[in-house]
Amino acid sequence: MTINTFVAGKGLLYRFDPRAKLLTVILLCIWFFLPVSLVGLYTVVGLLVLVGALNTGFSHIAKTFLSILPMLLFMVLFMPFNVRDGESLISIGSFTLITTEGLEQATRLAGRFIGITYACTLLFATTVMQEVMLALRSFHLPYKAGLVVTLAFTYIPFIAESFSQIAESHSLREAESDQGKRIVQRLKDLVPTLTSALVVALRSIPNLAMSLELRGFGSEQKRSSFKDLSSYRHPFTHTLLSCIMLVVFWVLFRVQ
Amino acid sequence: MGPSQSDSTSSLAKSRVPMPNALSIEHLSFTYHSYVQKQCESLFENLSLQIEEGSKTLLLAPFDKGKTTLAKIMCGVCPKYFPGTLEGTIRVFGTDLATLEPWQLLSVCSYVSQNPQEQFIANSVEEELAFPLESLGLGREEMRSRIDAALQHWGLDRLRTSSEQELSGGERKRVLLAATEAIDARFWILDEAFDDLDQRWRDQLKEMIGKGNKTVLVLASRYLAEFDGLFDRMLLLDDKKVVSPPQQQLLSRFSQLCQDDLANPLASQVCTPPDVRQLVCTDLVAERRRMSTLEEASFKVHVPHFSLQSGELVTLVGPNGSGKSSFSRILCGLDGYLSGFIKFDGTSLSGKELSKKVGYLFQNPDLQIFLPTVNDELSWSLRRRRDLKQEEIRRRVAACADLFGLSLSDTPATMSYPLRKALQAAVYYLLDRPFYILDELDSALTYHTALSIIRDLRQNGAGILLITHDRQFAKRVQQRTYSIEKGRLCEL
Repeated sequence: MTINTFVAGKGLLYRFDPRAKLLTVILLCIWFFLPVSLVGLYTVVGLLVLVGALNTGFSHIAKTFLSILPMLLFMVLFMPFNVRDGESLISIGSFTLITTEGLEQATRLAGRFIGITYACTLLFATTVMQEVMLALRSFHLPYKAGLVVTLAFTYIPFIAESFSQIAESHSLREAESDQGKRIVQRLKDLVPTLTSALVVALRSIPNLAMSLELRGFGSEQKRSSFKDLSSYRHPFTHTLLSCIMLVVFWVLFRVQ
Repeated sequence: MGPSQSDSTSSLAKSRVPMPNALSIEHLSFTYHSYVQKQCESLFENLSLQIEEGSKTLLLAPFDKGKTTLAKIMCGVCPKYFPGTLEGTIRVFGTDLATLEPWQLLSVCSYVSQNPQEQFIANSVEEELAFPLESLGLGREEMRSRIDAALQHWGLDRLRTSSEQELSGGERKRVLLAATEAIDARFWILDEAFDDLDQRWRDQLKEMIGKGNKTVLVLASRYLAEFDGLFDRMLLLDDKKVVSPPQQQLLSRFSQLCQDDLANPLASQVCTPPDVRQLVCTDLVAERRRMSTLEEASFKVHVPHFSLQSGELVTLVGPNGSGKSSFSRILCGLDGYLSGFIKFDGTSLSGKELSKKVGYLFQNPDLQIFLPTVNDELSWSLRRRRDLKQEEIRRRVAACADLFGLSLSDTPATMSYPLRKALQAAVYYLLDRPFYILDELDSALTYHTALSIIRDLRQNGAGILLITHDRQFAKRVQQRTYSIEKGRLCEL
């Protein structure tokens, strides 16, 4: 009922302290909303993608991008129509379709979305979940809250995995003459696939609760921890490096 | 939970005072709550059962008669998480289960589920074992030694950082058994624990049950050869009660309940395909990657030669994690391959084309049925065909439902497991694929039901590849057998 998001590797990010990584991700998410130039925003996104590709491999980075592509397209395609400020770029007669401001905001939104997605993905792809949990606890988050956070981050991919499994099974049920489906049919087919994924997800909730309790979750006894973060010897240096990097980005790319 | 209950947990776990019964159930009745208008039928009525401490007990129950529900009731998670009306008294080592929370049973009673996927909570094999030990508050050294020993014992050492979705069905079952071993509770409830395991691990489990000092209750819906001489006591869940007639009588009644006394449905079947089709793989090489571990990160499937012809019934056997499912996914076009050929009647096909020729019945039917009624399920694919009229669709659907013993107005979500499995097969029957892969069809079905499904699917002359771990089942069906070991497939 949970899906692993960890991608085994030996790159620099794997040796980076999980506490520092967690803090960096939170700070990066804030940084993306600071008034920075578009060039700066996409430079940081590009760096994230590059670091990701060096650590988890290009295919993982590409897979992540493909998974957010539908939502990204949806945002980028519809955002420009909602913004009326700025100079007109495309218009039909007297009706302005897209403005410079609309295009700029859509580009910025896409950059933020890609950046935040990669920052979070890289955290979970290069840190085993138990270490994410320990990092959360080191910031004084109670155990149960930490477990909820980590479970949520594995439960969402579980639903995604169920969705792809169900979509596969649906494709196996297509009739022989069902070649080259039209887009309308594809969209129609999404409804039962989504419904099934939802049903699978809902059905798994009591099983997950059962399994957690049978494994001792809920006990008042103080839990011990199989892992610790002592193998990461430079949490302070790593945190400092992260902060310096983000400050440098801010100084370089802020809007004057 | 008050301190008194915590005290009761520790007394349960630590008490070594001899007690007559590890488990005592008296006058148990249970009925699931119904979510539809139709009232659910009660599963147990006035059921009583005593399991002595240190005993090895086998409880046989035909499919869908409440075996898993009974196991969940014993663990205190039903009706807590699976709502229903429960009456009667259950005592675990003398303590009334009604006064305990399920987590208080951690060091007392371990449950291994029939479906391993539903029990995984952690992200890696190692973490799965560590979680309950952390709950017990064990020291790091103690945890490490227990985890290392259990992983080594169950051959999972190299998979310790692997995630659940990258494991095969048998490997998942071994993880749960390793967790049970690491927790070291006094009472083990093993629901179909031998299912999914290959012979090596079945033998090991047998040894573990036989030689250990634990109280063991194995629940099974088929009598396996491994059970011979393993248990002190055999029980049967019959007519909503647990009964213990003499062994011979019990097995005979069980066989009758499972319809094993009926003739093999395949024995009288004469399969004469209208056209002889052929599916051939030559020099097929495929690679699968485990993303979550650097050890054993890459797994290769190599098929020098494989052929399947219309009307043939071929079995595929092999140890856990040997590549059976990987090969099946390639054969039905779900996954790609690096080199080699898959030819249908001499023509190479793309993955998409293969998926229209080879039907793959997943082990879990719930991933393949998704519509509100049986009628909707059966007509879904037919309605997408432009060459069929409504009347013809209705006729085909009705005939198919009749053949598989399904009611068109039933809701799949509330149907029993064997019926859902039959529905899954019926859906494919209507697709009329020339070939079918049946992944562990026998798991959670009686032999008779599984053989009947095979017979029906073969009715139109389809060639069938059957994946199974059960040698008894394989013996009943096989014409030819392929074996796969460490990814390499060969004909036996």
